Amino acid sequence: MEKEFRVLGKARPNHDAVLKATGRKIYVDDMYLPGMLYAKVLFSPEAHARIKKIDTSKAEALPGVRAVACYKNVPQVRYNSAVRYIEHEIPDTERIFDDTVRFVGDRVAAVAADTPEIAEAAVKLIEVEYEPLPVLLDVEEAAREDAYPIYEGGNIVGESYVNAGDVEKGFAESDYIFEDRYETQAIHHAAMEPHVAIADWNFEDKLTIYSPCQNTFGFRVILGRIFGLPYSRIRMVAPAIGGGFGGKLEMTVEPVAAVLSKMTRCPVKIRYTRKECMLSTRVRHPSVSYVKTGVMKDGTVKAVEFRMFTNTGAYASSAMNVSGAMSHKVFSMYKIPNMRFCNHPVYTNTAISGAMRGYGSPQAYFGMERQFNKIARALGMDPLEFRMKNLVDPDSCEPVFHNPIGNPRVKECLERAGELIHYEEALAEQEATKNDRLRIGVGVAVGLHGNNCFGAHRDVTTMMLKMNEDGSCILYSGAHDMGNDNVGLQMEMVSEVLGISLDRIDLVQADTDACLWNLGDYASRGTFVEGKATLQAAEEMKKLLQEEASKVLKVPPEEIEFADNAALWSKDPDTRASLAEVMLHCQRDSGRELCCSATYAARRGACSYGAHIAKVQVDMESGAVKLLDYAAVHDVGRVLNPLTLKGQLAGGVHMGLGYAVCEELCYDEKGKPLNLSLKKYHVLRASEMPRLHLDFVGGGEGEPDGPYGAKSMGESPVVLVAPAVVNAIMNAIGYSLNRIPATPERVRAAIAGQKGE
Amino acid sequence: MEQMVLEINQTEYAFLAEPKWTLLYVLREVLDLTGTKCGCGTGDCGACRVIMDGKAVNSCMVQVRNAVGCRIETIEGLARGTKLHPIQQAFIECGAVQCGFCTPGMIMSAKALLDVNPEPDETEIRQAIAGNLCRCTGYVKIVEAIQLAARRMREGDA
Repeated sequence: MEKEFRVLGKARPNHDAVLKATGRKIYVDDMYLPGMLYAKVLFSPEAHARIKKIDTSKAEALPGVRAVACYKNVPQVRYNSAVRYIEHEIPDTERIFDDTVRFVGDRVAAVAADTPEIAEAAVKLIEVEYEPLPVLLDVEEAAREDAYPIYEGGNIVGESYVNAGDVEKGFAESDYIFEDRYETQAIHHAAMEPHVAIADWNFEDKLTIYSPCQNTFGFRVILGRIFGLPYSRIRMVAPAIGGGFGGKLEMTVEPVAAVLSKMTRCPVKIRYTRKECMLSTRVRHPSVSYVKTGVMKDGTVKAVEFRMFTNTGAYASSAMNVSGAMSHKVFSMYKIPNMRFCNHPVYTNTAISGAMRGYGSPQAYFGMERQFNKIARALGMDPLEFRMKNLVDPDSCEPVFHNPIGNPRVKECLERAGELIHYEEALAEQEATKNDRLRIGVGVAVGLHGNNCFGAHRDVTTMMLKMNEDGSCILYSGAHDMGNDNVGLQMEMVSEVLGISLDRIDLVQADTDACLWNLGDYASRGTFVEGKATLQAAEEMKKLLQEEASKVLKVPPEEIEFADNAALWSKDPDTRASLAEVMLHCQRDSGRELCCSATYAARRGACSYGAHIAKVQVDMESGAVKLLDYAAVHDVGRVLNPLTLKGQLAGGVHMGLGYAVCEELCYDEKGKPLNLSLKKYHVLRASEMPRLHLDFVGGGEGEPDGPYGAKSMGESPVVLVAPAVVNAIMNAIGYSLNRIPATPERVRAAIAGQKGE
Repeated sequence: MEQMVLEINQTEYAFLAEPKWTLLYVLREVLDLTGTKCGCGTGDCGACRVIMDGKAVNSCMVQVRNAVGCRIETIEGLARGTKLHPIQQAFIECGAVQCGFCTPGMIMSAKALLDVNPEPDETEIRQAIAGNLCRCTGYVKIVEAIQLAARRMREGDA
């Protein structure tokens, strides 16, 4: 950039922080529409069964009940809750309600009633007889050819296969081969706001749904397929989102509210309790990976092979989306010429796996980064040095298609993380305590995540801007603000380009009737794609404003600049007019309104890199792990808002730490979940957090194609926390632990197992 | 239904309620004080924290009749007219507000702490908000905000 930023680059709080800090932000559960009914869902207690008989008559007879829905009276259209755009085809396995249930927590029926209490009482009056079917819970068992098919055609949803170079040759040339099996668990997104929606299907057959979802336009496609409505009759709005993390990217409660509203022609609110969210929405794909690495004596990695299974649970949902995404993420980190990745998503009778922050990367990186720790130790190399030797450099190419990977600064991240945590001193502590009961361990990991869906499918956003006649401006953004303030950043970009102060810019967001099409808020695309589209719309508006200002200032349009809510002649800044004057002229004299839009389609997929170093204390007797210090340094290209970026980074580390040491949804042998409360399901509390040491690298020009050289933060931090922490534990105890979370029981078992690392 | 009166933010509210209703339900569904959020309904997340007679409590775990006669403070009562409470101001400035769903409960826990302990150390702050879950921030900016608010309140520039 030739010019310094005027607005961007500064620490700014979220644009709506005042509303949130005063309790005045209106979330969907805070909304009430006249005549609104309340819905309650009946969930399956069986993991796999056909519904032999369902009797809803007692529920229907209860005073205050307005509608009861089950498979008998709702559309039997099969859909996929992870569909993103109109031509998107992925396996359609779900129905609003089906005559077969496929996991404990599957929807069986729902009631709409005058009050939540009546709805709850009515649900208990629904009588269901089930005919049990074989239950498959284990992903590798379900993947066997002779396993009972949960769907016709078998339990393997598909295959994601990517190859670079010649893996067999690489192994043959290697001095050593390492092979291990790794396992990761199901976790709950635990966004603080539970799943909720209000559907209003009125007598004009217009369906309006207010939902804190991450993909209003995608939901519109799915609702259109289920109900056969034209998109002009479906309006999806996300007024506010109390945390998403992928858990609100796939459609869950919305069609239930919609069908009940269609039956009653009253607005219907559905709000899941926390237990219901944990039971019946989405979880992170549990996984099993077999990782095989060939390496030379000097630490040069020659070849890596991944064979993975992801457990997609009872429905296809984003089985293939996540699998496809994860298949490419391991190729852009190291200079490894020969790599092969193969994953099979598999149906089981467990909770539906879906999108979750990291989107496949945490599972793939857990195996790779754990094994690289083991290899470094086996070769007598420092794990940080081992990575430095193999990590990618800027301006290199990935090994699959040999496309440039832009400006990855992961080596600088690792170097900086080492400084922040005083790596040498920490290693000395590890060495000094290696025979103690309380041992210090230091663990390193690297990881990355993308910036869009380029390569998987089209990735497009259109932004619209409208000038008001007083010189203020409204941004129409199809983006969904999950708390990351993507839309705040967009308004800052508008301000940067047009010189309009932030107090004179506001926005309409995430409303399919008001905003232009956006792919949705996932894939960490908020900055790189939505930001770029916003910049282009602002540049477009600048041209329109220059035309109008030219008539007022009587100077050529291209010589006009904008600052401080005014148009200025670049050759003499005293020749100026306020934007209010320009816009008054525009409306009154030119007879014209200024409204413009710009479409940006991602041209390449950039990666955002990170390097983390964890320092932990392990009790060799109890297996308890204390998180002491944690350094996380990320390459996000040019830093556009250090405050919100650091907040996201700290939050991502927090989520990753839970994945590493304590979070897990547990099931009994019949597939019944065992810990459906935030008390039993352990999210780390403020008192349990390590000291965080956070920073960014890669200033200067930043990432090619990014808006002002910026790229994403969102998902990348959560990718590498678990391997960093478990590597630290392993380096302390000297034994292998290849399964997360690293609970005290598992750490004790690893110590007792005597398996060296 | 019973006739009840609650004192909330120094205002008396009279309403009809079932005795088994929780304070949270009454705040949100009866009195339209929706600033207080429901994150779990089981007392595990702190999103519904209010202050009752000076103590931060999870309003989802309080039966409304047990709140009768108590001094109740909610997030709506913190700002004085258009002037924000120093804790609110600090939460905003420090970047402690992301999705915002935990924020009202978090701020009420912070207020209950600072009302009795104007100079808490970091451990005391982390203990005071240990009942409040946040999934966005990693708590870093929240702790910083409470430290900043405490400093400003001590210096009297509130």
